Amino acid sequence: MSRPLLPLFALVLALAATRLAAGTVVVTVKDDKGQPVADTVVSLVPLDSAAAAVPPPAEPAVVSQQGEEFTPYVTAVAVGTRVSFPNHDKIHHQIYSESPAKPFAIPLHGPGAEQTLVFDQPGIVALGCNIHDAMSAYVVILATPHFLKTPSDGTARLADVPPGRYRLDVWHPRLKGDPRRDIVVTADTAATQSISVSLKPDKRLRRAPDGGGGGYK
Amino acid sequence: MIPRALRFRRFSLRLLALLLGLLFAVLATTYLVVSRANERTAHDHARANLELTARIVSSTIGQRIESLAGNAKVMTGDDALKQVRRTGNNRTLASLLQSFSTRVNAPVITFYNADGDLLATSDPAMENENADPFRLLIREAIDQDLPQHTGFSYLKQELHVLIVVPYYAPYPNVFGWFGLAFPIDRAFAWKIRETTAVQLTYVSLDPPDRPRVLATTLPDHSLPPVLAAVLAANRDRLAHTLPPPTEIVPLPDDRYVTLIQFRAMLGEDPVALVLQRPLTPELRSARDLENYLLLTSLVALAAAAVLALVLSRSISEPVRQLAAHTEKIAAGDYASRLTLDRADELGQLATAMNQMSVGLSERDRVRDLLDKNVSPEVAAALLRDGSALGGQEREVTILFADLRGFTTLSEKLTPHELLTLLNRYLDRMSAAIEAHGGVIDKFIGDAIMALFGAPVAQADAADRALAAALAMEKALVQLNTELAAEGIAPLAIGIGVNTARVIAGNIGSHRRLNYSVIGDGVNVASRLQSLTRTPEYHTNVITSAATLAARRPTPPRSPASSPSSASSPLPTFRPLGTVPVKGRAEPVEIFAVG
Ligand SMILES: [Cu+2]
Repeated sequence: MSRPLLPLFALVLALAATRLAAGTVVVTVKDDKGQPVADTVVSLVPLDSAAAAVPPPAEPAVVSQQGEEFTPYVTAVAVGTRVSFPNHDKIHHQIYSESPAKPFAIPLHGPGAEQTLVFDQPGIVALGCNIHDAMSAYVVILATPHFLKTPSDGTARLADVPPGRYRLDVWHPRLKGDPRRDIVVTADTAATQSISVSLKPDKRLRRAPDGGGGGYK
Repeated sequence: MIPRALRFRRFSLRLLALLLGLLFAVLATTYLVVSRANERTAHDHARANLELTARIVSSTIGQRIESLAGNAKVMTGDDALKQVRRTGNNRTLASLLQSFSTRVNAPVITFYNADGDLLATSDPAMENENADPFRLLIREAIDQDLPQHTGFSYLKQELHVLIVVPYYAPYPNVFGWFGLAFPIDRAFAWKIRETTAVQLTYVSLDPPDRPRVLATTLPDHSLPPVLAAVLAANRDRLAHTLPPPTEIVPLPDDRYVTLIQFRAMLGEDPVALVLQRPLTPELRSARDLENYLLLTSLVALAAAAVLALVLSRSISEPVRQLAAHTEKIAAGDYASRLTLDRADELGQLATAMNQMSVGLSERDRVRDLLDKNVSPEVAAALLRDGSALGGQEREVTILFADLRGFTTLSEKLTPHELLTLLNRYLDRMSAAIEAHGGVIDKFIGDAIMALFGAPVAQADAADRALAAALAMEKALVQLNTELAAEGIAPLAIGIGVNTARVIAGNIGSHRRLNYSVIGDGVNVASRLQSLTRTPEYHTNVITSAATLAARRPTPPRSPASSPSSASSPLPTFRPLGTVPVKGRAEPVEIFAVG
């Protein structure tokens, strides 16, 4: 298959799927108190057949270093996606991971530097900076095309899901327990899955500790 | 009665006041001594506690210093730091120091190059000028080749403890310095207060007239004027490096035992560390003890009051009884006896009073007896001066009377009946004798010896005696009439009357004296009496010529002048001749008296 044909092929495939009357799954994630939870990665893993091979996107995902923070905090990508780490600060940063899905270290780098890495194993990668303890981020690498990260309203709308049985996976950096469930996607319908999650307390360091209180507070 | 009641009350009050006063003095002294000792102990305890707290403060600071210095030594080996150092980017270094600051909980971390220039600080608010105290420490550490150095200073106008630790690359090459600091602030003061319960205040004495509170656990964070005054007063001691003594400073809520220590500052005037501990909690257990003591004292005082009242009553009541009894005795009641059931002096006094009553009643009885026998004048004279009556030769008329046939009578009657009869007889006879001014000298069984003209001389003693004899006869007739009515045989009597010169006086031992007479005339009178038994004489009364001679001339006698003349006719005398009397040469001429 020649390269120019690839998008066309994909398009045909997508149209065929549509024509095959794909379903929609709307997932709403709320915490114990009923508040919507952002930064939750929801994904559907087909149970009847192997997941279809997903071509990685052409453009890399971006996790930037800005204001001594990684932005965004949570990034969901398909297996094989490239992720670029630009430094928009005027100071140096370092990036490292010790996660099995992608252990790496990007050495201390100054303003304007940009490194790109391919995340080719499914899993969760915790990112840190050797210099700034407050800097923390996650890259979630998924082997299914059906995934989304919830925005601030806690609602993810997974469209174009072929009918069939799926496992609905849920992941959040502070998730307590595993609220995964099996669902059935039917044609031409929008099924709503309400997921209630328990979250551990947020232990992220404050970005700029003010040193007040003399350490006795 | 009222004065006695007052006296009684006064006595009990005096005893009460004495006992209570003594007890109160003892208890009050005890209370004061205990109270003062307690206060001193509390002060000492508080001072010891404050001194310990001062050491705890130093040790807490020391531990923090060691902890931060240890952390700095770990930072020295941090690879990220070395990477950042290689970039030469001090802003990155500053952000790394912030990470360190959070990691090791160090409020301030600064970094200096080997020359002591400030490269980066974790606290963006810290100005370069605040680096001076660190530089001072670094210079001293370099000069003295110290592995670390610390001191007190102000950062951002606040009291801090500063620590400098060398940055080795590698050891022992010093390529820079860590400067760490933590504030001595209100949180620190409260941390100490939580463990020691001591009020803690750091005060800047610069300028001296306006001390500034740097950190305190005192309410409203201001220095009470009284404490400021104490500090000002003790500031002079600083110059002489004398430790100020503990003082008791009155603050609004309590009195505080106050300890002041000075802390040297880097290139500045020392600051004062004021430690204070309230006295009341220290005294609480002591106060409990004192209250208990107070309660016990009050109970003791009350008990003493009751005891004093009981005691005073136990003394005053018998005294009152004794007084009442004395009044009774004074009123002449010798018969009643005072019984105090006690062995003490009052009991002895009561016994003595009873003995006195016995003595008095004995005396009274004696006087009574005398009254029966002699005229009151004679009795009084005898009682007044018995010796005046002794040893006089004088003329007296002696009367002897004897019951005839008494022996026969005694066989018929019981002893009791006999005695009753005898007394009845003697009573009548005595009455007759006394009615005529005679004195019963003695009773000798059923016989009576009576005197006329003694102990008080009587001019008509002989007349009286003869009249008495006739009266006795008459009285016996009367008695016999009564006895006849009772079925008792009549009594018979014989009387002898003689007048002679005899010795009159008190005769007997020194224990027992009887007024009597002795002499031949007495025997004659007795002999005359016995002669009445001679049947031929036909008389019951026989007298002697001496008595007849002693009679006063008969005619001029007014009926009222003599008690005998009115009731009895003049006696008649019938001569009976002469009879010999034993012991006398001359026989005695006798007469029957009718
Ligand atoms: Cu960084």
